[in-house]
Amino acid sequence: MNWNAVIPELVLALGILLVFVLDLFSDKKHYRLLSVISALVPIASLISLLFVQYPARTLFDLFEVNALNLLGKAILYILTSLAIFSMHDYYEKKGSVYTELSYLPLLSTLGLSILISSVNLVLVFVSLELASIGMYVMVSLLRDDYLSKEASYKYLMIGSVGTSMLALGSVFYYASTGSFFLKEYRDENSLFLLSMFLLLSALALKASAVPYHFWTPDAYEGAPTPITGYLSSVPKVALYFLLVELLGYFYHLKQWLILVAILSILSMFYANFVAYTQRSVKRLMAYSTIAHAGYFLLGLSLADPQLQKALLFYVSLYAFASLGTFTIMSVLEKRSGFSHHILDYRGLYKDHPILASLFALFLFAFIGIPPMALFVGKLTLFMGLVNNMLLPLAIALVLASILSAGYYLRVVVSLFLQEGEKRFPPAKVSGGEALTLLLCSLLMVLLGIFPNLLYDLIKL
Amino acid sequence: MENLLNIAIFLPLLAAILVGIVRNEKFSKVVSLSISSVVFFIMLYLFLNFDWSAQGFQYVTKLNWIPSLGISYHVGVDGMAISLLLMTSLVFVSAFLWSLKIEDRPNLYFALFLALETACLGVFSALDLFLFYLFWEGMLIPMYFIIGLWGHDRKVYAANKFFVYTFFGSVFLLLGLASIVVYGYIMTGTISFDYTFHMAFSYPMFLQIAGFLLFGLGFAVKIPMWPVHTWLPDAHVEAPTAGSIVLAAVLLKMGTYGFVRYSLPLFPDASKYFIPLIFFLSLVAIIYTAMMAIAQTHIKRLIAYSSISHMGVVTLGTFAMDLNALNGAIYMMIAHGLSSAALFMSAGFIYDRVHSYHMDDLGGLARYVPKLAVLFMISGLAGIGFPGLAGFVAEFLVFLGTYKNFPVWAFIAGVGIVLSAAYFLYMYKRVMFEEETLSEYRLEKWKHLKDLELHHMLSFILIIASAFIMGLYPYPFVKIIEHTSRYVLGG
Repeated sequence: MNWNAVIPELVLALGILLVFVLDLFSDKKHYRLLSVISALVPIASLISLLFVQYPARTLFDLFEVNALNLLGKAILYILTSLAIFSMHDYYEKKGSVYTELSYLPLLSTLGLSILISSVNLVLVFVSLELASIGMYVMVSLLRDDYLSKEASYKYLMIGSVGTSMLALGSVFYYASTGSFFLKEYRDENSLFLLSMFLLLSALALKASAVPYHFWTPDAYEGAPTPITGYLSSVPKVALYFLLVELLGYFYHLKQWLILVAILSILSMFYANFVAYTQRSVKRLMAYSTIAHAGYFLLGLSLADPQLQKALLFYVSLYAFASLGTFTIMSVLEKRSGFSHHILDYRGLYKDHPILASLFALFLFAFIGIPPMALFVGKLTLFMGLVNNMLLPLAIALVLASILSAGYYLRVVVSLFLQEGEKRFPPAKVSGGEALTLLLCSLLMVLLGIFPNLLYDLIKL
Repeated sequence: MENLLNIAIFLPLLAAILVGIVRNEKFSKVVSLSISSVVFFIMLYLFLNFDWSAQGFQYVTKLNWIPSLGISYHVGVDGMAISLLLMTSLVFVSAFLWSLKIEDRPNLYFALFLALETACLGVFSALDLFLFYLFWEGMLIPMYFIIGLWGHDRKVYAANKFFVYTFFGSVFLLLGLASIVVYGYIMTGTISFDYTFHMAFSYPMFLQIAGFLLFGLGFAVKIPMWPVHTWLPDAHVEAPTAGSIVLAAVLLKMGTYGFVRYSLPLFPDASKYFIPLIFFLSLVAIIYTAMMAIAQTHIKRLIAYSSISHMGVVTLGTFAMDLNALNGAIYMMIAHGLSSAALFMSAGFIYDRVHSYHMDDLGGLARYVPKLAVLFMISGLAGIGFPGLAGFVAEFLVFLGTYKNFPVWAFIAGVGIVLSAAYFLYMYKRVMFEEETLSEYRLEKWKHLKDLELHHMLSFILIIASAFIMGLYPYPFVKIIEHTSRYVLGG
């Protein structure tokens, strides 16, 4: 057994146990300390990545590490740490402190971290479930809030459909290839095709692509806002790292391109249209996630290193932008009486110029305006599509981007250009939230100007 | 020398950051004015030292930036670019001078304008397609907020319309950039965004046509050409004065600059192929929007329509495939930059004093603000191409060149000139003379109208003096512009 390959996961697991044990023996009032400790755990895992020798396989060859998935893990750990840092103040202000909050995100991240190293469908299944169950619980952790419970229930129900599709897909995969290991399999029998269809659907469900998106707006809206930030960033990154891996085994199927194209076009256009009708900014951002799932899936339409590099670059930065956005929302939500109705965002610039500017920065990043880094992601995705002569898809991406500008701008307009009607007490930004916001926004601009700092690290 | 250009581009951005941090009103004003003046003097120095006999780009800087995507930081200027840079920096100095008395959130205002200046200077000096796009889009956010925060009644509507239209165009421009970069990659195996790399290519016809249309859509929205022009009157009407000045004088030129810099040299065959289309659109712009201008009663809207009409002359000259016409088109970019800036200053001044842009609320103003009356007249004459002012030389060259190759088109376009005289004189009459409209109420109210103040005068003088210089002694300017036209037309 090659223990070296699983060091980061071991560190994470030990960290979870540590926090768990500390939680058993300490009071609620130590919640803040616990969450700081738990936020440091992913940092320790991040550092431990340096000691991993790659490429390597372990756990009966089920688990593989290579340069790419190590990078994926690094991004996961950073995101998780930031997400946890930004949580505790929110729960304290909301008077909804449950100490399990300090290790639940870590459990999910552990699952996701294993997920992106899995080369066997059984491990994929187990790790994805580990991640999902943690998330179902986290969504419901505003226990006094009806929406939170409803969201969790819906997420659980639809998530189980995903689980069953994944299970069935794996079984068909086994039936056609005789193994659960992901491997080059060139036979195109209908069983294999079916397994591809089911696996892709299951993952598209987790990635909230249309038509499997139904849980997204509700779960996003009902979940405690920092958890929404977690949901919209960490699992997304892991999923796309896995999908890029899977693409290598399925791209030769003709139906793959058709399926991916349909999923992405549906997601882009459906979500961008529906987003216009939203009055809640939190829900609007959920639709923005669905639209982005569409953009991301375009990066999986063909096996082309440039396209996949673009995708991974884009999704990683998207995760930071998304985390930043929801962190701002949770800062605002801590004020009593604040709902996420767009009217409540009016005139934010007057009271909180910095928060409003950061919010605008992230929104402009989502539209894809340079010098924000997501622009480079969109550009490279464009170029990859054009390079592969997928012009209709490239044009669809263009049109969808234009379409999306309107509803993001509506938020910018209400932040800056309209007068607020309600008065709220001033928002206080905690240290953890400040750290998260600072890092996310810095990355957004820094990697927009020097994208090669990250882009060159993505080695396919 | 090379570094001077880089310094000039990024100095305003640094100043913007500084202004944002210090947040002191007086500091913002002093810094903005002095930095923009420094930039102007640097540009003047570079302009005077520009060697028009030498070929190729000058003051070039090329640094590795994102090597894995073939992107470099590559800036440099040719004759057209340096002239536009000079005009841009001058207009910004005027705009800052004009805004000295602004009271509403001055720090943010000046910071946004400074950031905008960097974006504008960057667009005209970028020699890397990625860098170009970066600056091109970089102007979007500051301008959006300038219109949205300091505009008039329907500012949010106008700001959104401006943003969505421009973004719509830019995304197609981006697709065009991506297409030619990818083609270059497929052909040579190296991926490069470098302008000079792409200049050396001759693309096949299908790509030229696709590229021309994609780039063209982006440029057309920015110019704006008919029928994608409808954002401009709204943006102008709602924008604050300095915003209108910069919008008309500089931002519109980015589109026409794009045609000369990218469309003609990169897609020469497609450019010839699309001449009838462009000519048709230009003529519609020249005549239709001039007629629209006559129909206006809102002075700013009138000037906005006249801008669209003049931009039609620029596109006409650009695609006439003649050295003189192209010289004229580039000359027109600069001349129009000056005259439209001056016209918007006049309109802005009238609004400051009388609080209306509507001709019905004005009339007989000449008696109360004589200095403005004179300067307004000169600005207008500069706009309609009166001999002795820059616009005349430009129009003359454009029509001379166009007439040689396309006499019928040139003749029809000539009608536009007559119309331009009509709408301007008609407006001037209604705003400045027509004393019979002076009611008791107006007489009483306007008795104390203050004429131009010193900072207004300085702004005006900078612009109008330049228009006179360019109108009376065009030789060096034409020469320096020809530096570009010659290689663009493949000579």
